[in-house]
Amino acid sequence: MSRRARASGYFRSSYGEDLTLLPTRLERWAAVGLLVALLGLPLVASPFLIDLTAQVFLAVIGALALMLLTGYAGQVSLGHAGLLAAGAFTVGILFKEFKAPFFLTLPAAAAVGALLGVVFGLPSLRVRGLYLAVSTLALNFLIAYLGGEYETRRGFSTGIVVDPPSLAGHSLTNPKAWYLVLLAAAVLTLLLSANLLRARSGRAWAAIRANETVAETLGIGVASYKLLAFVLSSALTAVAGALFAYWRGFVSVEAFSLFLSIQYVAMIIIGGMGSLAGAILGAVFVTLFPYAIEAGLSTLARGTAYAGVLFAVNAAAFGAVMIAFLLLEPQGLIGLWRRLATYFLLWPFRHRPLGGARR
Amino acid sequence: MQLAVNILVLTAIYALIACGYVLIYRVSRVLNLAHGELMMLSAYLLLWTASLFAGHPLVAIAAALGLSALVGALVYLFLLRKLTGEMALAAVLTTVALGVLLRGATVLVWSAQQQYPAQPLGASNSTLALPGGARISVWAALLVATTLVVYAGLFAFLRLGRWGMRMRAAGQNPLLAAQRGINLHAIYALAWSLSTLTGALAGILMALDSGLSQTMAIIGLKAFPAALVGGLDSLAGALLGALMVAATEVMLIHYVDPLLSEVVPFLLLIVVLMLRPWGLFGTREELDRV
Amino acid sequence: MLSRTKIVALTLGLLAPPAAAQDAYTIGLTGALTGPPASTYAPAADALRLYVDGVNATGGIGGKKINLILQDDAAEPGKATANAKKLLGQDNVILLLNASLSSTFPPVVAEAKRAGVPVLFASSVCPKEVYPPADALQFCSTAFASTYDSRATLGFIKETAKEPVKIGFAAMAIPLSRAEMDFAEQQAPGLGMTVVGKEVIPPPTPDYTPFATKLKDAGANWVFSWAPWVTQVRTLEALRRLDWKGNYIAWAHIEAEGELARLKDGSFYVIGANALFQDQLPIHKEIAEAAKKAKLTYPVEQLTEGWIAGMVVEAALKAAGWPATPEKVAAALSTLKVDTKGLRGGPIEWTKDNHFRTQQYYRVYRWDPAKGSIVQVKDWTVFGVKSP
Repeated sequence: MSRRARASGYFRSSYGEDLTLLPTRLERWAAVGLLVALLGLPLVASPFLIDLTAQVFLAVIGALALMLLTGYAGQVSLGHAGLLAAGAFTVGILFKEFKAPFFLTLPAAAAVGALLGVVFGLPSLRVRGLYLAVSTLALNFLIAYLGGEYETRRGFSTGIVVDPPSLAGHSLTNPKAWYLVLLAAAVLTLLLSANLLRARSGRAWAAIRANETVAETLGIGVASYKLLAFVLSSALTAVAGALFAYWRGFVSVEAFSLFLSIQYVAMIIIGGMGSLAGAILGAVFVTLFPYAIEAGLSTLARGTAYAGVLFAVNAAAFGAVMIAFLLLEPQGLIGLWRRLATYFLLWPFRHRPLGGARR
Repeated sequence: MQLAVNILVLTAIYALIACGYVLIYRVSRVLNLAHGELMMLSAYLLLWTASLFAGHPLVAIAAALGLSALVGALVYLFLLRKLTGEMALAAVLTTVALGVLLRGATVLVWSAQQQYPAQPLGASNSTLALPGGARISVWAALLVATTLVVYAGLFAFLRLGRWGMRMRAAGQNPLLAAQRGINLHAIYALAWSLSTLTGALAGILMALDSGLSQTMAIIGLKAFPAALVGGLDSLAGALLGALMVAATEVMLIHYVDPLLSEVVPFLLLIVVLMLRPWGLFGTREELDRV
Repeated sequence: MLSRTKIVALTLGLLAPPAAAQDAYTIGLTGALTGPPASTYAPAADALRLYVDGVNATGGIGGKKINLILQDDAAEPGKATANAKKLLGQDNVILLLNASLSSTFPPVVAEAKRAGVPVLFASSVCPKEVYPPADALQFCSTAFASTYDSRATLGFIKETAKEPVKIGFAAMAIPLSRAEMDFAEQQAPGLGMTVVGKEVIPPPTPDYTPFATKLKDAGANWVFSWAPWVTQVRTLEALRRLDWKGNYIAWAHIEAEGELARLKDGSFYVIGANALFQDQLPIHKEIAEAAKKAKLTYPVEQLTEGWIAGMVVEAALKAAGWPATPEKVAAALSTLKVDTKGLRGGPIEWTKDNHFRTQQYYRVYRWDPAKGSIVQVKDWTVFGVKSP
């Protein structure tokens, strides 16, 4: 479903071909190559790098969920951190109170996410646009309040420690194993999202995003599809939060601040709205950005001398980069990529021909 | 009686911050989520002007206010103006990014420590006694007075002033206003400037009353429900919304559970929006674009 | 149009590992050097670096320098874990320090345990695992300590109060502060005090007056606050604005010394375990000189915690000898005795079971309006730290 130009020889002759995820041979090989590289990374990389990549995978799940909701269905949500916290706390609470195993807590987290999706999606039926964005802010504060109350009343003032998921006596503690689990989760989420978009729901969301009134007149159940977007997105995010809880082995309310919500929104903007690949690129960029700044600063000057201003530089640089993308490249990284690909494809020409070989 | 005074002070704080949101939204339909950070920047600018004009507190405050108004206009001219024609969400997210940038920049320049602008100005914070045994600090009283003056001024300006009428026109129908010959960019810059000015007043008075730190930006966010409950494009609504939110907060702190005071304003907002999706006094509008 | 695509500025950053000095003691610190709580922890990290630089300047320990690696985690547990993994797995530190919020503790400790490296909490709150019976790999040199602080404070109030005590508490809405105030609330009646109120204040509050109103209306004549400095001081200011004439006592965080001078409040007491700089001990002069030479940006009064951490680190590495391994360092820490040269009430002593300290000393200061300076109200009071 890419919107960039393609080389000649690319034809579709059936609806099935139109809907395939990887239409050309090059794309298929590229996907295989990427998968092989990702699978092989743990064998050569340092533990730090493996940890970092695992973080990226977790971010990808959350970013894909948010992309579905905001990028495709067009419902602005600023409460993403609240959903992640809800999933994490579900795991924490079920584990501490009932010693529930992971195959119960993960579905429970999804259910909690779905429930929250319904509750905070209901306003979307009456309220739109910016008013909706602000009511989703409430989600952040609500979960922070509930989480803080639980931590205090039950005496976990430093947070809830969660044991790694175990099955028949084998615990998942090896970081390389976790890497593979999270990679699998990210790939599954990507496939799920792509399928949702290829199906009826995807087209309904595109119509709702373009113009709600017209969508309604076309017979698309706007209310139910909006709620569906909220429910699915929230459930996915809650599961991401639950995975985060297991991976870190630890749940605390401080990890889920409003800034985290803003980071996820930044991911889908920097990546490029309305594109799954954009969500992935955005997640990679935003997660690795602070480390890149750190590496850059420490090579530029005596690293430790500037330790105190590192976050300030990070935050300032993050804001500046977000602004730069919004002003200069509103289509995000994926827009850049498409332009790059088109440039090489059409070279030495600069524009696509008018008739004929369009798309 | 002290309870009433507390509600009054908190209402004034929220109302003064909220009118900044309303001004920009009413005129250009953009939600300025960087208002809290701009407010904080103005208070930090006061620190700077206080050291420049040590011993002349009024000059320092006036200079800080002037600088803030200038910053507001510049933000529009160099940032938001480039987004004309893009979807509204892009403008909102640009302001979010601006907020993040400002937070980092203020820490870089002024460090993350608590600051007390009142000190270099040589201003002290005494209290006034009120009937009924209540007490209010001088700066808080000043803040209440300022809020009243600002609102009265804005009402008069929008209703009677020529530029005020142009602002209202630009807000109601930008295309027609432009056809009529109204310079939209100038109007928007003016709106941003006024908004940052009112925010600066709020930020500076709060900093003089109780100190300045990075949390001021979050306080800007807390005034949001106040602006929305009343309707994002209605000043009267902002006043009423501020009163409702402040009253709820103070009552909750006093009689129920202080921790709810963070969540409940937003829940109140959701309830009101469900009943009247455009706020209590907001105008119905086409909110289909996102 | 196309020129923009050529300006693709994506740096994934070559995460080059820092040059690990082979012939040195390598230690690492993960701390909230930036982020909202940075004003509490960054000065300690800077002071530690200052101390280590001083040690290295005089030749190091037995000719070997100390290689201190500082990593910022911005008080985020995720970043702290990543830092721990890097320090332990890549830099092979023999001692890991934590100067961050308590929410970063469990994952960092888990990583350290897996690597068998001891963890020293320096300037971050002491977890209960360092109290007897102590965990083998966790140590804490930080001044403040939950439950002991409340006990000391309530004890002080009881002896200083000239009339029956009606006490109010002010906590910040974070689990640690709330738990401590809950504990104090429980203990107070046993000392003959009447508890009249306990306020839990969310951090980003525009106006502290409503909370202060409740405490004043309840008739408190003493208020105790154990929370980050912001909450403590704003509550006090709000109370004073309401014309409340009672006594206020709060924990002496690093900002305390500077703030006492600003507030000039004769009934504002601060209780702490570190000696304030106004005592002008020789060690204070030493720290001030070093800070001036290095042109540190933080006020000199805020460097005590980090300096003490430096003393602990130096003593431990000396005792561990060369070549040093994590096991030797852990063993050295378990039997450590460090002379704090007056910065604390007495030496820091650790035993196999007690990694907090065997004696905790408290001092109380306040501002004397008559003298126009900070005075000591109560000299070192000792609390023996026993097994439960």
